[in-house]
Amino acid sequence: MQFSIVISSILHVTLFGFALFSFSAPKTMEVANVEAVPVSIVPFEDITQVVEGEKDASAKAKPAPKPTETQTKVEDAQNTGDNKIDFKSLKVPVPSVTEVVSKAPPKADPKPKTPIAPEPTPEPIKQVKLEPKQETAPATEIAALPTEAAPALPDPVADAIKTAEPLVEERVALPKTGPVPIFREQVAPAKTAKTPDRKKTEVVEKPQTAAKASDFNSDEIASLLNKQEAQGGGAKTSAKKQGLGAKTTNPAGKLSQSEMDALRGQIQKNWNIIPGLADGGDIRITVSMQLDRSGNIVGQPDVSATGGSQSARQTLAGSARRAVLRSQPYDLPLDKFDTWSEVIVNFDPSQLF
Amino acid sequence: MFLIRKILISTFATFMCVALMSRASFAVVEIDVNQANVEPLPIAITDFISSEKVGKDISDIVEADLKRSGLFSPVKKAAFIQKITDANATPKFADWQLINAQALVTGGVSTEADGRLKIEFRLWDSFGAEQLIGQRLYSKPENWRRVAHIISDAIYQRLTGEKGYFDTRIVFVSESGPKINRVKQLAIMDQDGANLKMLTNGADLVLTPRFSPSKQEITYMSFEGGLPRVYLLQLETGQRELVGNFPGMTFSPRFSPDGQKVIMSLQEGGNANIYTMDLRSRQTTRLTNTAAIDTSPSYAPDGSKIVFESDRGGRQQLYIMEANGSNQRRISFGNGSYSTPVWSPRGDLIAFTKRAGGKFSIGVMKTDGSRERILTTGFHNEGPTWAPNGRVLMFFRQPAGSGGPQLTSIDLTGYNERKVQTPNFASDPAWSSLLE
Repeated sequence: MQFSIVISSILHVTLFGFALFSFSAPKTMEVANVEAVPVSIVPFEDITQVVEGEKDASAKAKPAPKPTETQTKVEDAQNTGDNKIDFKSLKVPVPSVTEVVSKAPPKADPKPKTPIAPEPTPEPIKQVKLEPKQETAPATEIAALPTEAAPALPDPVADAIKTAEPLVEERVALPKTGPVPIFREQVAPAKTAKTPDRKKTEVVEKPQTAAKASDFNSDEIASLLNKQEAQGGGAKTSAKKQGLGAKTTNPAGKLSQSEMDALRGQIQKNWNIIPGLADGGDIRITVSMQLDRSGNIVGQPDVSATGGSQSARQTLAGSARRAVLRSQPYDLPLDKFDTWSEVIVNFDPSQLF
Repeated sequence: MFLIRKILISTFATFMCVALMSRASFAVVEIDVNQANVEPLPIAITDFISSEKVGKDISDIVEADLKRSGLFSPVKKAAFIQKITDANATPKFADWQLINAQALVTGGVSTEADGRLKIEFRLWDSFGAEQLIGQRLYSKPENWRRVAHIISDAIYQRLTGEKGYFDTRIVFVSESGPKINRVKQLAIMDQDGANLKMLTNGADLVLTPRFSPSKQEITYMSFEGGLPRVYLLQLETGQRELVGNFPGMTFSPRFSPDGQKVIMSLQEGGNANIYTMDLRSRQTTRLTNTAAIDTSPSYAPDGSKIVFESDRGGRQQLYIMEANGSNQRRISFGNGSYSTPVWSPRGDLIAFTKRAGGKFSIGVMKTDGSRERILTTGFHNEGPTWAPNGRVLMFFRQPAGSGGPQLTSIDLTGYNERKVQTPNFASDPAWSSLLE
């Protein structure tokens, strides 16, 4: 009995002793010391909306394609392209029999020398706000503080009438004879750096050859179908000297989608509305504001609201106004200042009520 | 030929217009905002400047009113940077913008030579840097609470675009004593629970008090003399009178919107039909005639239609009829039974009690029965009444167990549920219109 206990204990001690020294703790997992990868977020538009420079030109800060050349004008040109002369329209088209042939009437100068002054639009009359009188008998309105008193508003309508010069109507005498000319001038497509080998604009028009006793006049149809002047297409025209462009990207003028979203989010965050307004869903508010370079509003934002009841409109217009004022200063990229110097915000609460 | 030409020309013109417009809008950034923060408006309410305590008291009431509405969150006074010392000076808006107070209330209270209080207040837009309203009120010193409520209403209306409801009262049934032997008294109080007054002594059981929309008058049902009848009570004089001399019991009365008629149910055998009584000519008119229980009538705010509950279809459901009783039609078709309909003072909704699945809910639906929306559900919720602006509902809630009913208010959106503090148990609330 005792013997077996001794044997057992010796064996146990040996086993534990063996286990104690031979089974070691697992190795700690080593993680390599990796530095965070710097990531810079580039707006998509920086890549898609860059201007392509001229490859063999000298490096310049701003890339520019070859300056656009003006093509020599060819009367009734149909196929000029890069050619100096129009090969296709050398023949003089035979005029239609049905037309009264006359020399093309003298063209009215498309740009009159003295442009007609546009009628001065008088500024909308500002409605003088009248605070509705409180119905409770004892209440009397307190006028706004004298410091707040606005200077007497000049009457914009009267001023406009005074300053407006009598409108001089200039009429260009139209010739009384002769139909509307059916020959049109084909403007030669602009030659550009980017797409010198683009497709030629196909002109459907064909000179009329057969004189048939029919109303059908293909010229007329063609002239109806082809109202559009030949477009330049391709890259933008450029008057600058060509340049390769430096490595800095030239951000396109438009705000990128993410920048627009950030701007929207900034205003949304500050637009507090009262839930459950009776006819709030019908109201639309437009706020337009001028921003300075630091992103602050210049002067006061211009708020206009439509729809709904007067009091609800006043409330929502006030909340929209507070939203744009509270969102100052706007954090927008300074190099696109020209684009965001004027911002129009349309508030649409239709989904909120 | 000519037509084709015309179409082509107009298409072309449209295309050019679009092209030109899109080009013109390129120069400005135009964004659409269609999400907003539905949050209470932060407002700073400064203590009204006064040599006495009443200035602070008034601003405290205004603050409590606006906070209770759930639409405003008053900024803590400890956070104020500028200390207003002159009620008539333009505040430093930058200081208030910094603590994000979008609106600011300043004011002052002084005592006139004849003992009246002169209360002035101004509401400022701190981001727009302009005064939104400014009013001066004169009042007897003991009416300072009402003045505070009037100020709250003015602020509420200017900032939310809806009429306020703070200068109102609530009539209800105050219940005291043990459950088996409840004493029910008519009681009246301001909407914030102040100025509680008992109108009856509790000797007889009273139910369903309703305010007149135009006068300081209520109608209610009392078991006086053993038979439940509808009574009128003049609040100023305490004068009481029986409405109509009918053989059976009359119940669930309500005033017409012009306050000239009382509409109620009259028991006829096992049925009940709806009658009106002209309060001037005492002429009664029968509006329904069915072998069912028609009750809980409520007029539309323009008086043209009446909503009521009826079990003519087997279960209590809501029905609508013209004011002369014609064109009766059912509007509620949901599961369960519907009762106690009340037409909103705005006219667009009907509030009701709905019983389904052993629970009672308070809900609203459009007047054609569409767009049903449940605001709250529980063991027992019943008897909704509208605030005069149609924006807040009050009802009574009875918890399971030994407790008694309590008044609860809830916003039309289903948010901002609040208990209305009353000293005893309370049921059957009715909201007054704005006090004159």
